Amino acid sequence: MNREKSFIKKLSTYLVFAGPATFAFITVIILPFLFGIYLTFTDWNGISSTHSFIGFKNYLSVFQDKTFFNSFLLTIKYVFFTVILTNIVAFLLAFILTSGVKGQNLFRSGFFTPNLIGGVLLGYIWQFIFSNVLVYIGNNFNLPIFSSSWLSNPDKAFWAMVIVGVWQYSGYMMIIYISGLMNVPKDIIEAASIDGAGGFRRLINVTLPMMVPSFTVCIFLSLQRTFMVYDVNLALTKGGPFKSTELISMTVYNKAFLSQDYGVGQAQAFFLFLIVATITLVQVYFSKKMEVEA
Amino acid sequence: MKNKKLILNIIKTLALSIVLILYIIPFVLVLINSFKTRVQIVSNPLKLPESYSLSNYLEAFTKMNYSHAFVNSLIITVFSVIFIVVFSSMTAHLLVRKKWVFNKIIFFVFVLSMIIPFQGIMIPLVSIYGSIGMLNSKWSLIYMYIGFGVSLAVFMYHGFIKSIPVELEEAAMIDGCGLMQTFWKIVFPLLMPTTMTIMILDVLWIWNDFLLPSLILIEPTQRTLPLSTYYFYGTYTVNYGLAMAGLIITILPVILFYLFTQKHIINGVLQGSIK
Amino acid sequence: MKGFKRLSLIMAFVLMIGVLAGCGSKNTASTSEQELASGNKQSDSSSASDTNKVIEITMLNSKGEIQAQLEEAAKAFTEENPNIKLDIVVAEAGQSPFEKISVMYAAGNAPALAMLDPVDIPNLADKFLDLSNEKWIADAANNSLDNVTLDGKVMAFPFAVEGAGFIYNKAILDQAGVDPTAIKTTKDLEDAFNKVKAAGFEALAISPMDWSLAGHFLPISYATQSSNFADVNKFLNNLKAGSVDLKANKPFNGLMDTFDMMKQYNMYKNDPLAATYESNQQAMGSGEVGFWFMGNWTWPQIYEFAQVNEGFGFMPVPISNNPDDYGNTGIPVGVTKYIGIDKVNNSEEQQAAAKQFLEWLVYSEKGQDMIVNKANIIPAFNNITLEPQDPLAKSIKEYMASGKTIQFMTTMPADHWAEVGASMQKYLSDMIDRNTLIEEIETYWKNAK
Repeated sequence: MNREKSFIKKLSTYLVFAGPATFAFITVIILPFLFGIYLTFTDWNGISSTHSFIGFKNYLSVFQDKTFFNSFLLTIKYVFFTVILTNIVAFLLAFILTSGVKGQNLFRSGFFTPNLIGGVLLGYIWQFIFSNVLVYIGNNFNLPIFSSSWLSNPDKAFWAMVIVGVWQYSGYMMIIYISGLMNVPKDIIEAASIDGAGGFRRLINVTLPMMVPSFTVCIFLSLQRTFMVYDVNLALTKGGPFKSTELISMTVYNKAFLSQDYGVGQAQAFFLFLIVATITLVQVYFSKKMEVEA
Repeated sequence: MKNKKLILNIIKTLALSIVLILYIIPFVLVLINSFKTRVQIVSNPLKLPESYSLSNYLEAFTKMNYSHAFVNSLIITVFSVIFIVVFSSMTAHLLVRKKWVFNKIIFFVFVLSMIIPFQGIMIPLVSIYGSIGMLNSKWSLIYMYIGFGVSLAVFMYHGFIKSIPVELEEAAMIDGCGLMQTFWKIVFPLLMPTTMTIMILDVLWIWNDFLLPSLILIEPTQRTLPLSTYYFYGTYTVNYGLAMAGLIITILPVILFYLFTQKHIINGVLQGSIK
Repeated sequence: MKGFKRLSLIMAFVLMIGVLAGCGSKNTASTSEQELASGNKQSDSSSASDTNKVIEITMLNSKGEIQAQLEEAAKAFTEENPNIKLDIVVAEAGQSPFEKISVMYAAGNAPALAMLDPVDIPNLADKFLDLSNEKWIADAANNSLDNVTLDGKVMAFPFAVEGAGFIYNKAILDQAGVDPTAIKTTKDLEDAFNKVKAAGFEALAISPMDWSLAGHFLPISYATQSSNFADVNKFLNNLKAGSVDLKANKPFNGLMDTFDMMKQYNMYKNDPLAATYESNQQAMGSGEVGFWFMGNWTWPQIYEFAQVNEGFGFMPVPISNNPDDYGNTGIPVGVTKYIGIDKVNNSEEQQAAAKQFLEWLVYSEKGQDMIVNKANIIPAFNNITLEPQDPLAKSIKEYMASGKTIQFMTTMPADHWAEVGASMQKYLSDMIDRNTLIEEIETYWKNAK
C-alpha cells in the first residue's frame, strides 16, 4: 500500500520534471533506433514496398566484409590520434586563455570559428588548401613536404584528416574547458600559491583534479564525434585515394545507399553502435571513478 | 618578477596569435573569394579580389529568399534551444538528486543514445513521422531537435549539478520551498555557466544543421537558412563565388550572436564563482 | 518495492515494443495507407478543382549543375500552364540520388518527377507509373528506352544523352600537326601525344576520380566485347558468374595497354592522384593540354576558361593497333539520366501534371530551347531538331549521326564505379600491377549483387 503510494508520488515527480524530455527523447531517438534494428533482420533495400524477414544473414555478412573491418581499424587509428590531440590542444588553449592574457575574447572567438560552419564546406575549404594552396607554397618555397598534394598519398591524407579534425573540434572543447577552469574556485588556487606551490605544481595538483568532470565531457564528446565523422571525410578525401581513408560512417553509408543494401548497412551501423558504446562507457566509467576519488 | 611575468605574457600572446592565424585562414579565404568569379577563384585562390563588388551577395540574398529563411531559422532555433534548456536542466536535476534505480537507467540510456549514428535512424525516423503526418512543419522539427538535443544537455547539466552542494537546496526546502520552486530559485541560477555553454553549442548546431531539416521540411516556404543556401547553388562546384557569399551571409548572424553572448558567458561564470 | 519497479520497467518496455510493432506493420502495409493519404490530398484539391486550382508538383534533380536552368524551365512551364506549379529539389553534393529518393518515399512525400541513374529505375518499378502510352515514346531515339523497359513497360523518360572520350583542343592539335580523325590505333595516339609535346604543350590529362576511371573509362573494355548489346550483357553475367578470364581478354588488355601508354604522357605523371576535376577543366579550357578523357557534361566549366564556343571535340579511345577493330572509331554514347513519375504518393492530377511537363519538354518550343540551348543537354528525341550549341555536344551528335558509337555502360551494379574505381586508382598510381588489378576486378564482379 505504502509502496504503491510512494511509487505514484515518484512517478508524478518524475513526469513533472523529466516527463517532456524523456518523452521527446524516446519518441525521436529510441523508437526509430529500435525500428532500425528490426530492419536489420530484413532484406529491405530502403525503398521497395515489401521486405521479408531473413534473420541474422545481414549480421553474418558484416563479419565477412573485409572492407568494413579495414575501415573500422582505420577509424580506431583516426579516433585515437584526433581525440588525444584535440584535447591537448583544447586544454592548452583554455589554460593559457584563462591565465590572464589580454584580448581573451578575440582569441576565444577566433579559435571557435571552425564550429560556425557546417562540415561539408569545411572539408571543401581544406581540400582546396591541401591540394592547391600548400602545393603552390611547396613548389615556390622549395618545401618538399608540400610539393605534392597530401590528399593523393594514403598516409598523408590520413594526417590531413587528423589535422582538420583537431582544427575543427578543439575550439568546441576549449569552450567547455574554459567553463570548467573558470569554475575552479579562486581561493583554492590562492591557498595553494600561498602554500608555495609553483605554477606547474598548481596545475598538476590543484587544477587538474578539479577539471576531471570537464575532461569526462570533452573526451566523451570528441570520442563520439570522431567515431561518427562523415561530412568532413566526404568533402576532404571522399575516402580516397583508393578507399584508403574511408572511415566507418562512410563505409556504412555507402553500403546502405550506394550498394543499395540497406539491411546490411543498418546492421553495420548497429554493430558500430555496440563497439562505440562499449568504448565510451568504459571511458565514462573510469573518469567518473576518478571524479569520485578526486 | 614583474618583468618575467610580462615577458611570459608576451610569449603567450604571440603563440596564441600564431595559432589564431592558422585557425582563421580558411575563413579569410572564404571571404576573399566571395567577391570573385569562379574562374578567378580556380586560377588563383590567394589573390585579393580585383574589386569588392557586392553582386555575389545581392544575388545570393534574393535567390535564397534570405529574409524569409532567416525568420524560419530564428523561430526554429529560439524555440528549440529554450525547450532544450528548460526540459534538460529539470531532468538532470531530478536524475542527480533522486537516486532511484530507474533514474540511473534513464541517465545511462541518455548517455548511450549520443553514440547512435544519425544515419542509422534517419530512414526509420522519417518513415515513422511521415506515416503519422508530422512532416513538413517547423513545429515537428522543433520537437525533433528537443529529442536530439536533450541527451547532451542532460549529460552536461548532470556533471555540473553534482558539483553544487545539496545543502543549499535542503536549506531552501526547510524554508518551505517545494522541489519545483527550489529548482527555479536556487539551482537554475547557479547553472548559468552551463546554460550559456549549452545555448551556444545548441544555437550553432541548430542554426547550421542541414541534414535533419532537409528531411523534415519539404516546402520551399518552410526552408531554413542553410537549406536555402544549399538549394540555391545546387552543388558546390557550380559557382564558388556565389556559394561563398551565401555562406558568409548565412554565418554572419551566428558570428554576431557569438560575439554578443561572449560577455554574458563571462558574467554568468563570474556570478557562478562569486558564490 | 524492487519487484514493482522491475515490473513497471518491463511494462514500459512492452509498451514501447507495442508501439514499435505498430510502426512496423504500418510500414509494411504502407502502400494502402499512403494511398489513403494521397486520396485525402486528392479530395482536398478536387473539392476546389476548378481550373483555378493550382496543382503543386515537385521534381528531384540529380544533375546539380543544371539546377538553375531547370528552375528557369519550371518557371517558363508555369507561365504557359498557370494551374501547375513545379518545384525543383536537388540531391545535394555528397548525397546519392538513391538516398534522397529513399528518404522521400520513407516520408511518404515522393516527388512527382524523379531524375535518376538508369541503374536505379528497376528498384522503383513498383512505384513508378507505366509510361508506355505517352506520346513521346514514338519519337524516342533508338535504344534509348531499352534500359528502362521492364516486362514490356516503359518506366521512365530518357532525359539526357551523354558521351565520353578524349576531349581534344583543336587549336593545339593544329599547331602540332595532328588530325584527330586519323587516329585509329594506340600507336597513332602515341604519335599524336609526342607531336603535341614537341609543340610545347602537355599531351594528356587523366582525371583520377573513381567515377571517371571506373564509371567511364574501364567500361569501354566491357562495351567493346561485342557490337551486339545482348552479347555485352552476357559478358557481364559471365563476369558475375566468374567464368571470364580477363587475363586473356583482348579488348580488356587492349584498353589497358592504351592506358599504360597514356600514363606515360599524363601531365600529372609524378603524382597522378593529386589532379582535381577543377584543375583538369582549367588545363583543358585555358589551352595547356591537348587531350583529356572526360564527358560532354563538363563543357560549361571548360567554356568558363576558354570563353569560345568552338574548337573542342571528341575522339575515341583506341583499344588495339588494328584500325578495323570494333571500338577504335566509336565513342561511348548513351542515356545517362531518366525521369520517372511516381504513382504512390502523388494524386492522379499530380501525375497528369507531371506527364504534361515531360511532354512540354519534348514538344514545346520553350521546352526544347531549355533542354538544348540553356541546359546543354543532348535530348534523346528524334523530333527535336535544334542543333546543340556547344562543340562537345555537336561532336557527339556527329558520332551518333554516322553510327560511330559504342554502348555507354549504365547498367552496371550501382557501386561499380566506387569499388572498381579504387582499384583503378591504385593501378594509375602504380601501386598494383595488372594481374592484381584483374584479380580485384574479377573479385568485385563475383561478389556483386
